[in-house]
Amino acid sequence: MKSIETILIMAIFTLFLSGCVEKEILDDINLIDGIGFDYVDGKKIRGTIVFPIFIKDKPPENRVLTGESLLKKEILQDIQLQAADPIVTGSMEVVLFSKELATKSGITELMDPFQRDPGVGSGIYLAVVEGETKELFEGKYGVRGNSTHISDIIDENIRNEDLPKTNLQIFLADFYSEGKSPFMPIIKKKSKDVVELTGVSFFNKGKLVETISSDKMFFFKLLVDKYSEGLHRVKIEEGEAAIRSIRSVHHYKLIKKNPMEVEVTIDVQGIINEFNGDKMYPNLERKLNKQFEKEINQECLALVKNFQEKNIDPIGFGHFVKTQIRGFDYKKWHESLYKDLVVKVKSNVEVTEAGVIQ
Amino acid sequence: MSVNIPVTNKISPFLVFYLIHTMQVGVGMLGFQRIIATYAGTDGWISVLLTGVILHILMWMMYKMLAIVDGDIVTVHNYIIGKKATKIVCIPIILYFCLFAISVLRTYIEIIQVWMFQELETFWFALIYLLLVIYIIYGGFRTIVGIAFFSIVLPIYILVLFLFTVPFADFSNLLPIFDHSIGDILKGSRNMTFTVLGFESILLFYPFIKNPKKSHKYAHLAILFTTIVYLYICILTFSYFSENQLQKNTWPTLTMWKIIRLPFVERFEYIGIASWFLLILPIIAISIWGTSRIIKQVYSIRQRRSVLVISLLCLIGICIPTTRSEINMVTDLTAKIGFYFCYIYVPILFVATLIKKKVKKS
Repeated sequence: MKSIETILIMAIFTLFLSGCVEKEILDDINLIDGIGFDYVDGKKIRGTIVFPIFIKDKPPENRVLTGESLLKKEILQDIQLQAADPIVTGSMEVVLFSKELATKSGITELMDPFQRDPGVGSGIYLAVVEGETKELFEGKYGVRGNSTHISDIIDENIRNEDLPKTNLQIFLADFYSEGKSPFMPIIKKKSKDVVELTGVSFFNKGKLVETISSDKMFFFKLLVDKYSEGLHRVKIEEGEAAIRSIRSVHHYKLIKKNPMEVEVTIDVQGIINEFNGDKMYPNLERKLNKQFEKEINQECLALVKNFQEKNIDPIGFGHFVKTQIRGFDYKKWHESLYKDLVVKVKSNVEVTEAGVIQ
Repeated sequence: MSVNIPVTNKISPFLVFYLIHTMQVGVGMLGFQRIIATYAGTDGWISVLLTGVILHILMWMMYKMLAIVDGDIVTVHNYIIGKKATKIVCIPIILYFCLFAISVLRTYIEIIQVWMFQELETFWFALIYLLLVIYIIYGGFRTIVGIAFFSIVLPIYILVLFLFTVPFADFSNLLPIFDHSIGDILKGSRNMTFTVLGFESILLFYPFIKNPKKSHKYAHLAILFTTIVYLYICILTFSYFSENQLQKNTWPTLTMWKIIRLPFVERFEYIGIASWFLLILPIIAISIWGTSRIIKQVYSIRQRRSVLVISLLCLIGICIPTTRSEINMVTDLTAKIGFYFCYIYVPILFVATLIKKKVKKS
């Protein structure tokens, strides 16, 4: 008898409890999947949100709303005045910053709400936009909505092409790390229905300080990602070959401590995708290997030199040296050690296959 | 001296494994990494190992002590200082177990409020939860053990899901090993107390174990398993976050789940936090049951009645702290009292029992 009473009481309370929190029905909310920030003036920024509207038997339409304000949450409030349903951040895919904003006022303050909001996942992509984010969102790309399309482009380039691994989590980990500086991919609206990945941008204390173009990305990825893939064109006298690296591994080694010297060894295993010369023969392959190695050494070293000059460390030399030395002092590192660091790049390229023809 | 429990109410020795492990793994697991890293940094995993070793020693002491008196913590006190003094000494212990239940449930409600439903009323949720707990306790000790068993077996898949963080982890974060002094590592170990508390519940349910000598190895296995689980999570956390980023996150474990994305569920935290409902259920149940059991032994009050009163006290206690800092204060206080209780008071009791035994013999 007693247990029945308990069950009854509990059932009644369950009814009460279900009324305790607000309901969110999928059809009655605006589930935004992209947000972009533009520079207005020294104080104000403009926010643009995009959310898909699903229509039967048709690709989703993108609805774009904008608002201007000082804080990200205020922007959402401002936008809310224009929206019929509550704005919810639960399925965010991309966050974009205009290059102007990232260079002039930096993004440090804008990052806070994305960490604080429990609804935003760590796997979302961040990117810098050449031009205005509002303009970019107003285009119409792909069949799955704008934000999904942009995140698909970044995803594909990370998995199979030259873009190093990145997302909100990796960006934040680098952002807070003393021995590494964060980076973001750069995208650009090419035409009304095409978006393109154009390079990588580098940040120092939340401000964009340096960019590289997409043809340098391959070398950057070799340096940053432990295992990477990608495609690079190599030119020799006999013709030009497109070599796809299918497996590459890098190793860092601290060989001298005073002055500090780091040796980077990069092993690349690749296949030839395309060759416009007359004929492939073993000697040619060796020549391609040599040329490829030379280019890797040169380009990687040039990248590192450039980073050192700009006092940014997206490759994470600081982090690496710290793992090698007990009681490492980051202060000293930032003051002088990093600038004086000697980096040597060694590479081994091995082209294993040349496709199905000779 | 010994306590008589009918055989039908006793449990098999191997179930001790589930009981102790379930008591240890609770809300602490969601945020302990940050707390140990404040002192020990990325050497925090050494603190975890160290804690594991200390727990083994304490567990051995408790078993030794309980075997001598063949009873629970009340019997131990009766044995050493007599019945009258026990009545006073047991009050802090009763309060401690109440506080333990309060801080676990309050932290859990806070997590729901921060991560899922901001509007959730602490009072109503706590009331329903405690009603469920009372219902379980009324089912008897064996029902509680059953819940403990399921609270481990059902959510165990979550451990596998932590592997989602591996592609984004940088294991070189853990290097260089021993970058911190032994003192810092010990401090980290001390900060971990709240996370591993709960193993002292053996002091309450020891008389309910059939053939308690046989259960000794299962108790140690439970502690070993807890240590391994924490070590595993610790290493993944330290390689996933950079050190300063870790300090920014109140519940690193939950933040780690943010990376999990499955085809059928966008946000895993919701499932994870809901699983924790089951995980902390036996913790609350055993704490309240244990308190009522002490009260029964010391003051001869029926458990059915005292459980209601204790639950009411817990309900009030849960509703008092409202902000993050207040809740933090409650957990800190629990950790501190737990630390002194387990790491200092229990060894004292152990030594006292040994001396008393010698005195009695001669």
